[in-house]
Amino acid sequence: MAATDGERNHETGRLEFSLVVPFPSSREAVIALRSLSPDREPRKGGISKQLTVTGGTLSVRWSADEARVLRVSVNSFLDHLSLVIETMEMFGPPVPQ
Amino acid sequence: MTVVIGFEGSANKIGIGIIRDGEVLSNPRRTYITPPGQGFMPSDTARHHRAVVLTVLKEALEEAGLKPADVDCVAYTKGPGMGAPLVTVALVARTVAQLWGKPLLGVNHCIGHIEMGRLITQANNPTVLYVSGGNTQVIAYSERRYRIFGETIDIAVGNCLDRFARVIKISNDPSPGYNIEQMAKKGSQFVELPYTVKGMDVSFSGILSYIEEASHKMLSSGQCAAEDLCFSLQETVFAMLVEITERAMAHCGSGEVLIVGGVGCNLRLQEMMGVMCKERRAKLFATDERFCIDNGAMIAQAGWEMFRSGQVTELEDSWITQRYRTDEVEVTWRD
Repeated sequence: MAATDGERNHETGRLEFSLVVPFPSSREAVIALRSLSPDREPRKGGISKQLTVTGGTLSVRWSADEARVLRVSVNSFLDHLSLVIETMEMFGPPVPQ
Repeated sequence: MTVVIGFEGSANKIGIGIIRDGEVLSNPRRTYITPPGQGFMPSDTARHHRAVVLTVLKEALEEAGLKPADVDCVAYTKGPGMGAPLVTVALVARTVAQLWGKPLLGVNHCIGHIEMGRLITQANNPTVLYVSGGNTQVIAYSERRYRIFGETIDIAVGNCLDRFARVIKISNDPSPGYNIEQMAKKGSQFVELPYTVKGMDVSFSGILSYIEEASHKMLSSGQCAAEDLCFSLQETVFAMLVEITERAMAHCGSGEVLIVGGVGCNLRLQEMMGVMCKERRAKLFATDERFCIDNGAMIAQAGWEMFRSGQVTELEDSWITQRYRTDEVEVTWRD
């Protein structure tokens, strides 16, 4: 995990948060993205999250109405991310495609 | 040969099992046990699963003597169950499926119980009583669906037993239901409780409220012992379950009963069901705690059937769901 920042976007009035996670290669970054994407945010509205991969980097960007909701989502995402990374370390590397 | 690994973690058990064409190669499991008087909460349960899931996975592969390359398909519980624990286990399943380059398969937990019961007992086309901490259903197969003939209209029978155990502070180790069963053997006085069968359905929440109140009064005044209450509760709720199972059998003209789910390993329930079956000249099938209680192999077995009939789950469709009814699944592997 590299840079994180939290700030309020003055145009939309929403809180934004971004996270950058480096992986050994784009293959691992894509695996993490596909493992972490399927489950939607539990509450309806109030928060959105976007995951993208560029090269070996997974980027996540949140946009939320309230700090409390943002904290819960970021917290649980980090828990999930650490489990995915640990799984890769124990049961990887990925087989050649 | 088709090898399927199954990941289960929808409640307080986490299990990973490997099945090769009907043979259970490994099936390690861990249970999150809470102190007496306490139930298991979603986030604590997820934390428990998180802490042990990778160790259990390693055990499953080692016990089976297999390498990831030997696995043909990765199955996991899609639902129903508690959200946080389901996600924890699904994350690992999705990740290893991609690392190993294997297809993924989301399995309905209830279907897992049914298919594991059918595999172990070789019951052909049974009326199924599925009883656990989260589910109470009478099920029969018809036209590509496991159809629900009767079910609880409020809490599950296992939930009723678990919560009664909490009220009188019975240990949750190895499970509240097991300890109630042992205490019930020493009960001698039958305390009458509400008997709530409504058509094909049953209700347990009123019984729970009633026995909660009765236990405070009767235990403090010495009118009866805790053992008598355990005995009375079991006799009442099991009689209700036998009644609706019998009615479903009569309806379907079925000559087989299969009991699955955690409460299904209760020997008193099996005994009472056995009496009914004998009267109807029907056959009773049940399994022991290895396969009745949630485990990974049952997810692998349902996954095996689904995979062999051509099903897979794309990663983007692999979201978990807390609600997932048994009859939502199209049974593509039976005639």
